[in-house]
Order: sequence, then C-alpha cells, then structure tokens
Amino acid sequence: MSEIHLTINGQEVVAQSGQTVLEAAKAAGIDIPVLCHHPALSNWGACRMCVVEVEGMRTVQTACTLPAAEGMKISTHTPKTTSLRKFVLELLFSERNHYCMYCQMSGNCELQDQAYAHGLDHWTYPRPFEKLNVDASRKYFIMDHNRCILCSRCIRACAEVAANHTLDLRNRGAKTMVIADLDVPFGESSCVECGTCLQVCPTGALVDARSAYGGREKDVTHTPTTCMQCSIGCELDVVTRYSRLLRVDGVWGSEPNDGLLCVDGRFKPLYEERKRVTRPLLRKDGELVEVSWGEALAAVADKLKGGSCQGLAACATTNEALAGFAHLMNRVGGKGGRLEPQAPPLGYGVPGRVTDVLSADFIIVAGAQPLEYQRVIGYFIHRAADKGIPVAVITDTENALSERASMTVAAAQAGVVAQAAAAAEKVVLVYSIGIKPEVIAALKPLGDKVHFLALDPARNGKGAEAAGLQPLTPVKADVAYVLLGEQAPEETLQLKAGFKVVQAAYVSPLTEQADVVLPTPVWSERQGHVTTLDGAVKPLQVVLPAPAGVRDETEVFEQLLGLLG
Amino acid sequence: MGKIKVATQWLEACAGCHMSFLDIDERIVELFRRIEMTSSPITDLKHPPEEGVEVGILTGGIGNEDEKHEAIEMRERAKVLIAMGDCAVTGGICTMRNFFPTEEVLRRGYIETESTVDGEIPVHEDLAPLTDKVSGVDEVVPVDIYLPGCPPTADAIWYVLTELLEGRMPKLEGKVLKYGMDGG
Repeated sequence: MSEIHLTINGQEVVAQSGQTVLEAAKAAGIDIPVLCHHPALSNWGACRMCVVEVEGMRTVQTACTLPAAEGMKISTHTPKTTSLRKFVLELLFSERNHYCMYCQMSGNCELQDQAYAHGLDHWTYPRPFEKLNVDASRKYFIMDHNRCILCSRCIRACAEVAANHTLDLRNRGAKTMVIADLDVPFGESSCVECGTCLQVCPTGALVDARSAYGGREKDVTHTPTTCMQCSIGCELDVVTRYSRLLRVDGVWGSEPNDGLLCVDGRFKPLYEERKRVTRPLLRKDGELVEVSWGEALAAVADKLKGGSCQGLAACATTNEALAGFAHLMNRVGGKGGRLEPQAPPLGYGVPGRVTDVLSADFIIVAGAQPLEYQRVIGYFIHRAADKGIPVAVITDTENALSERASMTVAAAQAGVVAQAAAAAEKVVLVYSIGIKPEVIAALKPLGDKVHFLALDPARNGKGAEAAGLQPLTPVKADVAYVLLGEQAPEETLQLKAGFKVVQAAYVSPLTEQADVVLPTPVWSERQGHVTTLDGAVKPLQVVLPAPAGVRDETEVFEQLLGLLG
Repeated sequence: MGKIKVATQWLEACAGCHMSFLDIDERIVELFRRIEMTSSPITDLKHPPEEGVEVGILTGGIGNEDEKHEAIEMRERAKVLIAMGDCAVTGGICTMRNFFPTEEVLRRGYIETESTVDGEIPVHEDLAPLTDKVSGVDEVVPVDIYLPGCPPTADAIWYVLTELLEGRMPKLEGKVLKYGMDGG
C-alpha cells in the first residue's frame, strides 16, 4: 500500500492508496457531512451531502466515492459546497414527511442534525403530501416510507452485512421506493429480521416497535456487554432508560460480529414473557411455597450433606457461576456435568475463529445448522458465498444453508467434499453435534488446513468446558441439583432423584417438579464473564437491576459451602 | 424612545407557542419595560392596531379562510413578521390532514368518529371554510424571521426578541435552532 499526498483545506494530508477523499479527510480530523455514507457499508454517492471542490475539476465531487489521488487539492467547506448541501437538505425535506415534532427519531436523527448544522430554519419548497405506506407487517420493526430519504443504507446493510439481499429499490426519481423482494409486505418477505437495516437507518424510516418514543439519545444509558443467546458471544450495545430495556444494537468494529446481530440477539431479550421466579420456593406438604433464602438454603445444605448428588448445569450462565457450580459439586462428592450435548473433537485441524469464515477459500458445513442456531455465522457463510467462495453442506436432513451452497451432499458422500476442498489453502469446517464419525473420517485428509469451528449448542458451552463440566444425562441419585438459569429446559427432561433442587430464572415444568427452587438473575442482570466460540473471555455487564429477592449463583454457592462447613 | 410595539396572533395552533413565550418567566418584566404588547390572543385586544406595530408574531399554520385573513392583516400592519413555531414555519402537525381531501377530513371528524351519534358537518356564516391544505405562514404572506420548534424554547424566543430590540436580525443557529419539542 503506497502513500498519497494531497491537500485538504490547505492542510497537507497523507492518505493510503485505495482510500477515498472522505476517508482521508476523516483520518486527518476533517469533518465532511454525510447522509447516505456509512463506514460499515460500501460507498454509494447518492445523497450528495459530501460534495467537495477539487482544483482542476469542472464540477463538485462526492468525497465518499472520489478516490484520493496524488497532488489533489480539495476544499470541503466553500460557499459553493455549503449552499449545495443546504439545497440537498431542502430537497430532502420537501420530498416526504419530515415533520420532526411527531417523529420518534427527533433528537437522534442524522437528517435533523444536518439541517441544524446547516441553519435550515425553514423549507423553501412546497411538499407534495403524498400518502405513503407504513409497513408494520414485521413483528419487531416498522418501515415508514414517509420518513425515508432513499439513502439505501438499509439495502446495502441487508446485502453486504447480513448478505440476505431482501431489500432493493423500485422505480426511479420521485417514485423510488425501498421494497422487499418483489415488492411484498416486509413480513411476508425473505427478511430474517436481523435488524441491521434498523441500526443503520439515519432517519425515522425504520422504527423499532419496542423502543420508539421510549427515550432520546440524551435520556438513555448505553452498556457494552456480550450476547448470551447462542455460543458465538457477539458484542452488544444495550440501551436502557431507568430500568427499562429499550434496544439492543451491534457494535461496529467488534470481534467477532462487527456490528451484525441476529433476530435473537437484537430482539429476543426485549420480548421475554416467561414468568420470573423471584423468591426461593420450598415444597411443603406437596406444595411449593415461598420461603426465606435462609430456610431454602438450609434445606438444600441438609440434603447435600446426606446423600449422593448429581449436578446438571445448563450452560446459560457466567464462567464464574459454572466454576462455582463445579466446585460445589466436587465439595459434596457429587457428579457435576452439563445438560447440553457437546460437539465431538475432530482429532485434526486447528481451532478457527468466527471471522475465519470470511477469509476462507473453502467452507464446509457438517452436522450444523448455523442459520437456525448461530445465525451470525450463517450470515457470514452467506457473505463468503456472495464472494464466490465454495460452500459445501454435508447433511442427511434439510439445511437452510443448502439453498446458497455450491454443493450439498449426504454424510456418506463426504469424501466428495474432501476432494473438492483438496486444492484449497484455508478450509473452514463449521460443525456441531450432528456431525457423523464417517464425516470426520472422510474429511481427515484435509488435515491441518482445516480451521474448525465446533459450534456449541449451549450458550456458554466454552465456559462449561473451562469449568470441567462434561455432558451428563440424569441418573438416579438422592439429590439432583440443576443449575438452569434462564434456559428453557427440554420438555423431555425428567429428574430421577429423591430431592430436586432447581436454580432457575423462570417458572418451567422443571421448577414445577422441584423440591426447592432458587431464583437466578438473567443475562441482562449478571456481572461476570462468558467464553465466546473463539475462546475469548468477555465481560457481562449489569444492564438492569435484578428483581429484589434474586441472588447471583456464585453468591448462593458461597453460602451453601458455608452451611456445609 | 418610546416602547417598541409588538402584536401576536395565533392561527391553527395549540397555544403551546404562547405558553412557551410566557415561559420566559421573570424576563417578561424586563421585556415589558421595553415593549408594548398591543394585542394578542390572551389579552383584551386581539388584532394589531391599524397604525401598525414594529414586530408581529404569528403562531400556527394556515388552514382556513379566517387564518389567511389574520395572516394578511398581521403582515400589512407589522414591519417585521416572525413565524413562530413549527406550525407557522411549515404547517406543522396541522398538515396531517393534507394527506386527505377536505371533505373526508370533515366527514371523519364530525360524522364518522366512533363516539358521534347523528353527526353533521357544521355550516354557519361565522365558521370559516377550510383551505384545501394547511400551510406555513410563508405560503400566504412573506415572513422575515423563522423561529421553528414545537414549541420553540423560551430561550429561543427570548433570543429572537432581544436581538430585534438591539437592532439586529436574529440568526437562528446552534441551541436556538431546534425542531420539535425541546430539540427532540
């Protein structure tokens, strides 16, 4: 990469070859207004807010699409560019419904910010007052075409970040509209509701149904934390106001997801409707009744002292709690393990990282359904497929990835995939509990050029691994101690113990059959760490206060150890 | 020097802009040492005097023939005309009806409302007919100063009036230039 020397506003700037004038200016601390540009998306040049004057060029140029070149002399803020930007804003405001006073984005809107910056105290042009659709056919967010400025950020986010290609433009000029698929309601389209478009929309055109009118930027709190909906461990920016969860956003530039989230990570925590356990419960005369923590823990300690114990943890809690659980089980001489199965070891290859999917030259998916269970990895695979990287799916059942894979074969034909990948240099193997021994054997010739991602079906499976918790099935014991956290238990799960302790956040069939129920916090109320699929230990921050009466598992384990003496 | 004469009038408005005006609080004492409020919707005299005023303030959009008349009267009688608030500047929230034909708006409001029994669209010589569309003041008469906001903050109103009293044309920017409520 070579250096380029140019002058911006009289200041000498050194840019890298391949950078645009906008990027070079930004790196030099020179601000050029933008609307359609977004750093995570490709350059578009649609809105013309970033126009600059270039010495020797006949017309103004869009800085976001103009490659920086040696010797360029750029002026970013001249009477001409300022008046053109104001003109662009006046046209944008006159086109659709941009009345701020009843818009939920007022105060957080990039269009409004630019209008303020350019001193737009009134609109010169008449408005057509054309009635456009508000599409509320999706569950989580609404498309209000009246607020749209056709910047196409949503379209690029859908195509380039989520690699889903649902959105596009229809018609030309003033009749242009953002559409889904072949112009169907968004709720009936191929949209996967990852919400990336929502996150990049600069105006109030895409509206989050849960957080709309819930608080403006100046009223809210942002807490960085880690997603616990699956084992990937995406970085989150959680937005709250007082004790209300408003919105979850991805974090651009973060590992491994780089701003991309899935429907579960972005929306699921906002729509949790299961009934919480908020007080310890103890079975008395056949009925579960609320008791004090002291009474509940004394009852548990009493049983743990007396007999054999099996401990089963759903890996839906912090590393600290899983380690504490393993320690407690060791202390009482019990057998502790995890409830969820674990992907088997391959015996060859090197552990990969999630982002390796994006730099692979061959991708194999075996016994895994990332589009269902670790969606961000599924979207990354789609991104690779878009670049023409071969994707081979080895499966004996339906797999949503097959649609855009270059080949789908049955487990018995896995050797064909090994042959196809033989010439590749970096093979990423994404697999999970469904991988069959013959597939592992068939891919063995690929050896150490395999970068494998063993998708753990449990949220914090890596944390459980670190705590030494292996998969276990319920066996007969005097005491069964289940650390469930917020995990919904499998309906088939039946405990075979005489005395059942369930430590859980929500009421479930499992808490109904327990003798003692101990309330736990949920993801958003925990302080601690989780281990991501990449093996990174990431912090979990308290986003919301836990309900009174709920105690963190680590605290409970300490107290039980104290009672056990 | 005599006091500067100021008149205000509200058109299709919710009164919020005038409430925000009153929100200048104790500064109103200082203001009234320097201005004479000849007329306003919340004083006895409603119309600007025929001999004219230095500053006329209009709040609200223009949605019927009477409001149009009021705007024209204020323009004729004021040297400097201020369009105050989002409705006066752009038509504001009142323009919601612009997405529907006038007849449909009246029918919906007077006949089809869920709580209405035997409703009818009122017609009377004292009732001004609606214009086809609600507009900002400047689509009817020229405006000298635009002061947007829903409502503009008391500080923004104070800024505009004191600048005028100092003989300067106020320039709306920074904290005093906001749309919607309290800058959104």
